[in-house]
Amino acid sequence: MLTLLILIPLAGSLVAAWLPRAWAVGFALATWFESLWVLQQFDLHTPGLQLLEYQPWLPQLGLNYSLGVDGLSLPLVLLTSTITLLVLWGAPLSIPPERRQLFNSLVLLATSGVMASLVAQNLLMFLLFYELELIPFYLLIAVWGGQRREYAAMKFLIYTAVSGILILGGFLALGGLSGSLNFDYAQIHPEHLSQRTQLLILTLLLVGFAIKIPLVPFHTWLPDAYVEAPAPVAILLGGVLAKLGTYGLVRFGLGLFPDTWHLISPGLAAVASLTIIFGALAAIAQKDIKRMVAYSSVGHMGYVLLGVAASTPLALVGAVAQMVSHGLVLAFLFYLVGVIEVKVGTRELDVLNGLLNPLRGLPLTSAMLIAGGMASAGIPGLVGFIPEFLIFQGSFSAFPIPTLLAVLGTGLTAVYFVILLNRTCFGKLDNHTSYYPAVTWQEHAPALVLTGLILWFGIQPSWLVSWSESTTAALIAAINL
Amino acid sequence: MNTTTLLSPSRHRFAEVVHRLEAGGAMLPDSPENLMQVVGIWKAYAVPMDFYWRDLLYIAERVFLDPLPFFKYFLPQEYLDLPNHYAGDTADLRVWRGPATAHPELLEFMRRGETTAMPRIFHHWWHDRINMEFAEECMRAMLWHRGLNAPLNKFDLYLDSPEYKANADRAIRAYFRGNPLMSSLYRAFPDLFLEQCRQASYYSNLGLFWEIMAPVFFEISDLYDEGKITTIPEAMNFVYNGIFAVASRPIYHHVYIKGECYEIIPKSCGFNWLHDAALPYVEAVFYRTSPFRGTKSYNAQAGEVPGDQKDFHYGVLYADKFPVGTAGIPPTLLMQDMYHFLPPYLRQFYLGRCRGEGDILNQLAISFQRSMYTVTSAVIQALRQVLYYPLDDPDPAHLKANRAFFESQLDRFCRPEYGMDKAARLAEIQTAAYR
Repeated sequence: MLTLLILIPLAGSLVAAWLPRAWAVGFALATWFESLWVLQQFDLHTPGLQLLEYQPWLPQLGLNYSLGVDGLSLPLVLLTSTITLLVLWGAPLSIPPERRQLFNSLVLLATSGVMASLVAQNLLMFLLFYELELIPFYLLIAVWGGQRREYAAMKFLIYTAVSGILILGGFLALGGLSGSLNFDYAQIHPEHLSQRTQLLILTLLLVGFAIKIPLVPFHTWLPDAYVEAPAPVAILLGGVLAKLGTYGLVRFGLGLFPDTWHLISPGLAAVASLTIIFGALAAIAQKDIKRMVAYSSVGHMGYVLLGVAASTPLALVGAVAQMVSHGLVLAFLFYLVGVIEVKVGTRELDVLNGLLNPLRGLPLTSAMLIAGGMASAGIPGLVGFIPEFLIFQGSFSAFPIPTLLAVLGTGLTAVYFVILLNRTCFGKLDNHTSYYPAVTWQEHAPALVLTGLILWFGIQPSWLVSWSESTTAALIAAINL
Repeated sequence: MNTTTLLSPSRHRFAEVVHRLEAGGAMLPDSPENLMQVVGIWKAYAVPMDFYWRDLLYIAERVFLDPLPFFKYFLPQEYLDLPNHYAGDTADLRVWRGPATAHPELLEFMRRGETTAMPRIFHHWWHDRINMEFAEECMRAMLWHRGLNAPLNKFDLYLDSPEYKANADRAIRAYFRGNPLMSSLYRAFPDLFLEQCRQASYYSNLGLFWEIMAPVFFEISDLYDEGKITTIPEAMNFVYNGIFAVASRPIYHHVYIKGECYEIIPKSCGFNWLHDAALPYVEAVFYRTSPFRGTKSYNAQAGEVPGDQKDFHYGVLYADKFPVGTAGIPPTLLMQDMYHFLPPYLRQFYLGRCRGEGDILNQLAISFQRSMYTVTSAVIQALRQVLYYPLDDPDPAHLKANRAFFESQLDRFCRPEYGMDKAARLAEIQTAAYR
């Protein structure tokens, strides 16, 4: 039952604040098993919502406890539960023992909120949990962040609060103008609104979610938040929270405004290609490997937008797969960057060198970093390839020039990862400074699991595709009606 | 009265080291930890060295110009039993109190390796063996830097003499007798074979050099275990005294072909261990060698490689402890060899530091560098003894000459034009933090 996806981490957040870490990991593991149970119960061939649950909550406000899962939310539920588990498992590397229980508690609280947003079938319920995220994430950055953590946390809070206000405005307009009795997705019928009204509401939602994703030019909170946040929080921000933005874009933009979508999609494709190219060029210019990965994230979210904008069956399946792929690869890269930062004591590209050294370097971490760079650059055989390929294949007929620019962006991705890997992993260690502690197997474990997933979905991408294929096909069919 | 009271303090960058040398010490500071590392690593070095010298002589004397020397590292029993001239009851001068034949630890390793007892070919293919490639690389460094220490080094000059060419010609003809293909090739390319013969002579040179060093290191190790060597200067002085004791040991090259001995370089030529083997070895292997063929390319056109070979600085005294893309004799091979024969106290020492077993080869490399600075100190002191004045000489002018000599030796670690000042590890070994 979907409620457990929300309740288990929520209960865990209460318990983990007082009990040892093993409890937090236990609750994350239970959440993960629950998400697998959902997958097992889910009929891949049914495009609509499944495993529905409904309880009136505040009917006077149109707020109902309405849950359901489809091919759009299922992959993200699986991604969220997996990443939460790995974050809590690997947290001791970056999070000092003091107040670690509070950290674990906040991570589980954030997970509960994300899960609720993903399975919510009521606009207000979605927004309630979407906004609830801000509290744990603000604290996670402000308490455990780097030197400029207060600035980064406040910037994150302001941006995402603005995002929430815009979305709230859009939802209220949607509910009020469409004459619905409540805010359940099934009751919202904006197709009766004028195109101008639809465009206005859609714009509010788009900007709101564009901040969350984020897309250029709403991205400026991201580098500060990702870089100042400790590695586990950066993983959650990029791997989980950013996905709420892309999810909202598809669910509420494409899903509720199929007619108007055509009007704005060329502009979205242009923004997508701009985001891809900007993200890549900004990453090339960085001297801090964490900031480089953060800008890489900006660029890669552009691929999702391109696929959603194109709205062809292939492109949309690719966009959903890209959300999962991006979540896994970004989590992988941030985790490895975190390992390097903890062991070497720096993230500076000009200082790092020779980490592949088998005796005194971080050889396995470096080897996995190479694999992560390859996955991010879309090398065949790894998880990044098929989603990007599907997006390019599906988008080219609709938007050839933005698609070609996106392909160019993939080439630029390879450029900055070659720079990163060449400077960080290759060359030789410095005789004077290289007394780094070894990375233990316990510390390697989360990255090894992610390596397995990245390889598995690289050679068996049909899993990724099949989860969302029916749902995305139904969405596209609705557009073409 | 000592040097410091007769002369004003040195202003050299390594003034502290200069003063230590003037007081009869070594470039390496004296401490129990340094002594343990140096003596322990010498012992670990001496066991594979016992294989190196025997195999170098085997290659020089028996393999010689074999065009397909697949089995040159398969040392026959005859060479394992070859009595060392400086150990055992039959010694010319007994340096080590142990046996003259191959060291028992070496024989046990050759039998079992890191894996298990199995035919030697499997050990070879699995690379579970002594890395003779290291010894050959040292030999090649000496060959490649020919002309070292001339005119003191007469051995090298002799390799170009008509007498040497005639001796080599006789041996080459005898070696290829009955082999028309190789004989024809020799007629077509005589210089090629002559150069190979010179290389074989350097095999012999280095083998004869190491034949002495192995028992010296074994004996120091035994004395340390018995508590009779307690300081770095004592260890250095043992090497120093050994240098003078064996200085006149003849360096020669004999080849055995079908039971007949061909004296390519006869003992009667009078080449001796100190001038014709030890000094060229130190210069070639400790200081110069060549840019290591690692993953980093040295760009000669960008001035990264000195134009003059005498300015090369890729030897063990400069070598990077991280061998990937750095300079010097491939150190990993030697470290791997020494790793098999570490004394228990040194192994325990390494296991408790840095990454323990995980980076033990790096730790070995650092200890080896410290030990080779100690050997070089002994050589510098020996040269000072030969060329200059006693350390306790009362004449300030003589002490000044000694100081100038010491400072000129240390200048080799200071020259910035090719980055020697950064590459030399002299500054690092002054602290225990370098490990």
